[in-house]
Amino acid sequence: MRILLAEDDLNISKIARLALEKIGGHQVEWAPDGEVALEKALTGDYDLILLDEMMPHMNGLKVCELYKEQCPHPKPVIFLSAKSQESDINAFKKFGLGHIPKPFDPMTLNQSIQHLMESLAA
Amino acid sequence: MRSIRVRLFLILSVFFTAVVGLNLLSYMSFLSLRSERAQMSLGNQIAVEIKSFPSNLAALSEAQAKSLEDKIAGLTPPSRKKAAAEMLKQAVTNHPAAFRRHLTAFHSNEIEFQRFTLNQMDYLERKILFLSGLSGVLFLLGFVFLQSFLKHVVVLPIQSLSHRMTDFLHNRFTYKFDAPKNNEIGDLHSTFNSLAQRVITHTDEMMSLDQAKSDFLSIASHELRTPLTSIKGSLSLLRGGMAGDLNEVTAELLGIAEAESDRLIRLINDLLDLAKIEAGKLPLQTEWMAVDELVDTTFKGLSGLAGAAQVELVYDNPSPHLQVLIDRDRIQQVLTNLLSNAIKFSPQGETVIARTVMTEDDRIVFEVRDHGKGIDPQDQQLIFQKFRQATGPNNPLVKGTGLGLAIARALVEEHGGEIGLKSKPGEGSTFYFTLSKWRFFNANKPAEAS
Repeated sequence: MRILLAEDDLNISKIARLALEKIGGHQVEWAPDGEVALEKALTGDYDLILLDEMMPHMNGLKVCELYKEQCPHPKPVIFLSAKSQESDINAFKKFGLGHIPKPFDPMTLNQSIQHLMESLAA
Repeated sequence: MRSIRVRLFLILSVFFTAVVGLNLLSYMSFLSLRSERAQMSLGNQIAVEIKSFPSNLAALSEAQAKSLEDKIAGLTPPSRKKAAAEMLKQAVTNHPAAFRRHLTAFHSNEIEFQRFTLNQMDYLERKILFLSGLSGVLFLLGFVFLQSFLKHVVVLPIQSLSHRMTDFLHNRFTYKFDAPKNNEIGDLHSTFNSLAQRVITHTDEMMSLDQAKSDFLSIASHELRTPLTSIKGSLSLLRGGMAGDLNEVTAELLGIAEAESDRLIRLINDLLDLAKIEAGKLPLQTEWMAVDELVDTTFKGLSGLAGAAQVELVYDNPSPHLQVLIDRDRIQQVLTNLLSNAIKFSPQGETVIARTVMTEDDRIVFEVRDHGKGIDPQDQQLIFQKFRQATGPNNPLVKGTGLGLAIARALVEEHGGEIGLKSKPGEGSTFYFTLSKWRFFNANKPAEAS
C-alpha cells in the first residue's frame, strides 16, 4: 500500500516508517505537520492516510475534515492518538476508520492497520 | 446610624408610657369614684342614726352622740360637715326646734348632694370605661405595630440575607452585591458582602490554579508520552529483530527496558486518570446495567491473567434482575482493579470470589474475596493512598503503579459509594465497594426498587 504518514515528531515518524516499510512492506510518504499533510493528501495518490491527532498548524481531525470536504473520493483515514476519552474515540470513528492508541507498538502496527481496514471492508 | 436598638427602645418607651399613663388616670378616677360612694353612704348612715334618736332629745345617750360625731368628722365638703355638726350640737344641747330646723336643712342638703354625686359617679364610670378601652386599643395597636416593625426591620432583612447566603452557597457566581441598610442588620449584610467578595476572589484564584494544573497535565502528558513512544517503539523494533539477530543477553536487557517503559507509560496514564478524576474532569456517563453482565464482562477481560496465575474466578450469587446505575467503564475499571489485585496476591490453585450483597441501609455491596496472605491492620488504610503499596516480609513488592486503588477509590466516591477492605493476616482479604442506586428490573415486569 501507499501510505501517507502525518506525524510531527521526527523520531516517532522514523519508527513508524521502519515498521510500515520494513515489516509491512508498504510505501510511506511523510508529512511533518497538518498543513503539509492536507496538501499531500489532496494532491498525492495513497491507499491509506495515517494522521497524528496533535500536530502543529492543524490537528489531525481538522485535516481529516477538510480532506473529506475537498476530495471527491477520499481514502480511508486512521488516527494515531494518545487521547482515550469516549468523546475523542467517537470523533475518530466519525471522521475516519478509528484510531491506533499511542504509544503504539511498531511490531503490531501493521496488524492494527489491517484490522481497521478489514472493518471498512466488512 | 438608624440603630434598630434605639428605634426599638423609643417605640417601646412611647407605648409603655402611654399605656401606663392611661391606666394611672383610670385608676385615679376609680379612687374618686370610691370616695364619692363612701361619702354618699356616710350621709345615709347619719340619716339612719338620726332617725333612731329618741323623740325626747334629753334622753340622747352619750354613745349615740359620739358615734354620730365620728361619722360627721368624715364628711366632705366642709360646708356639709359644718351643717351636720351644727345639727348635732342642737340635739346635744337639747334645742328640739333648732334641731328640727337643721334636720330639715340636712335632709334637703343631702338630697342635693346625692343628685350631684350620682351625676359625678356616672361621669367617673364613663371616664374609667373610656380610659380602659383606650388603653386596651392602644395596647393592641402597639402590639401590631411592634410586630410589623420587627417583621420589616429585623425578620425580613435577616431572611433575605439568609436566602442570599444560601444562593451564594449553591450558585456563588451570580451573587448580586447591593448597598446594605444603615443599621445592625446592614452591618451583618456588609460583613457578609466582604466575606462573599473574599470567597469569590479565592474561588477565582483556585479556578485559575485548577486551569493551570489541567493545562500542565495535558502538556506534561503529551510531552512525556512522545519520547516514550519513540523509546518503546525503538526497543520493540530492536527486539523484533529489525537490526539483526540478538544474542540472549541483549534480548533480555532489551526486554527489561521495554517492560519498564511500558510501566512508565501505565504510570503516566494512571496519574493523568487520577488527576482528571480528582479535578472532576471525568464526568460520569451513568446508565442502568445488569450486575451479572458487569461481573461477566470483567471476568472475561481478566481470564488471561487468571489463567496465567492459575487462579479460578468465581461469581458467587448471581442475581439476574439486579441493575445498578453506573458509568459502565469506570465501575468495570474498579472491579477489574480489585479482581486483578486479588489474582496477583492469590497462591496458585486458589479461588477469587466475587459476590454482591445488600446492606441494611439499602445499598449494594460488591465484594471481592481472595485467599492470599491478608493485609496487616496498619497497612489497611495506607493502601488506598497514592503510591502506597503494602510491602513487608509478608507482602513482597508486586510491580504496579501504586495508583490502582487510589483511582478505584476516587471512582467509587464519584459514584457516591465507599470502598474498603476487611482482612486479617493469614486469612485473605475481602475488598468491597458500595453503590446506592440500584433496582430490580424484569423485562416483563419492571419494578423500581430504589
